Amino acid sequence: MSTRKSKVKLLKNMPGVVRASIDPFLVRATNNPERIMFILHRVTGVIIVLYLFLHIYVTSNTIDSARWNSLMEQFGASIVNKIGEFIVAGAVIFHGLNGIRLLLVEFFGVGIGKPEHPKPPYIAPSLRAAQRKAIYIVAVLSVVGWIIAGILIFTGYLELPL
Amino acid sequence: MVARSKFQELLAATRQPPKEVTIRVKRYDPETGKVWYQDYKVKTFRGMTILDALLQIKEKIDHTIVMRYSCRMGVCGSCGVVVNKKPSLACQTQIAAVASEDKPIVVVEPLYNFPIIRDLVADFGDFFNKHRAIKPYIIRKDPDEVEKGEREFIMDPHDLHEIYEYSLCIMCGLCYSACPVSAGDPLYLGPQALAQAYRFIADVRDEGYEERIKIVDTEHGCHRCHFAATCSAVCPKMVDPASAIQRLRKIVFMKTLGFWKKKKITQIAGPLKEPLRQIEAKYAVENILEGVDPEEQAKREEKIDLEL
Ligand code: SF4
Ligand code: SF4
Ligand code: FES
Repeated sequence: MSTRKSKVKLLKNMPGVVRASIDPFLVRATNNPERIMFILHRVTGVIIVLYLFLHIYVTSNTIDSARWNSLMEQFGASIVNKIGEFIVAGAVIFHGLNGIRLLLVEFFGVGIGKPEHPKPPYIAPSLRAAQRKAIYIVAVLSVVGWIIAGILIFTGYLELPL
Repeated sequence: MVARSKFQELLAATRQPPKEVTIRVKRYDPETGKVWYQDYKVKTFRGMTILDALLQIKEKIDHTIVMRYSCRMGVCGSCGVVVNKKPSLACQTQIAAVASEDKPIVVVEPLYNFPIIRDLVADFGDFFNKHRAIKPYIIRKDPDEVEKGEREFIMDPHDLHEIYEYSLCIMCGLCYSACPVSAGDPLYLGPQALAQAYRFIADVRDEGYEERIKIVDTEHGCHRCHFAATCSAVCPKMVDPASAIQRLRKIVFMKTLGFWKKKKITQIAGPLKEPLRQIEAKYAVENILEGVDPEEQAKREEKIDLEL
């Protein structure tokens, strides 16, 4: 964008998209759980996309029933599979719940407070509004949902009869 | 809970800072391309800011250190640096708030997401160009209304209240430096420019919202924001860019669906119905010394000796 020609070499000081998406200590702003939610949302999103590819690959085996059965016998009940399912379940629960919050905030402007005249202690209205409470609700529901999913997965409740 | 931590931050600023602190400055030499951290020991005083410390270093310890500042009171927005990983105004950050007896060390870095010219000086060229790009001025269908400016636009206090918060931006770039999207996308307009886009679109005097919406409704515009709200958490003027961007986005979204129309556009104030009240100035007649004529007193020439 800059049209200015200059001889000095500028230092590029950008942490980059990967670091900004996974490093919660990149910027240490106080009073900012939104950022943690942002990072979790990205990480869980990546987990879900990876799972999707794996899912497509695995289900593509259903064409051949013999192969499918042997695959299920090998991996269906293995602990690796269960841990994987557990992680994906957590990711989906969090991503879904936080996604609802983000949809409300980003598309309908819900829960970001009203403009105010600044007064001490100068905390921006959107950091005190309903979306902040929604963060705590999302966090609690995600943990509860994840625990339930864990119980279902590890007790074999969800296992398919082979 | 969170509000308390902010209070504690403010409270810490009122305390006595450690007697001596180490200021660790991230430096950059454009001629050699070298980047390094340099430590300086600084004797503190109560109320010392990071900018005071940097100036003391420049004055007494190392003349080669470079930073930008002007007003020293949080008005000009030129002294933004990253203090202990938080983008802050150097002149508004108390040493006592960021250093303690147990940890008398403060890390000062140049702003993230900006190209660095030297030491703590960031290149704001692109940042200002982005601000320019969203047309940060009142646009009218009839440009003469602004350019000739014969009469004022009507704007009631409620209309002002809607945008007042956003109009306080001092263009310090702290929000831009904190934003995780700016960290990866150099073309992203950034919280500052987008907040100003909203500020002008929401302004009842403005008619340029169509063009402005076109500018922000792009790949690198308002849709890029992910509401990490770090911009609002670091803004020294409580501008709350995060909320401005979400409001802007709602407008763009609703407009695309065909549900949005600007609610109110004010006109220029008409000619006065009656001429302004003229008040004749009179000298005080009450509460004066007895026997003194104010008219006489005013006429009397007073010799003031300016040479001391
Ligand atoms: S919005 Fe706040 S942090 Fe961003 S440039 Fe303006 S004053 Fe600085
Ligand atoms: S709310 Fe948007 S503009 Fe502000 S820091 Fe987050 S991603 Fe950046
Ligand atoms: S020197 Fe002006 S804002 Fe800090």
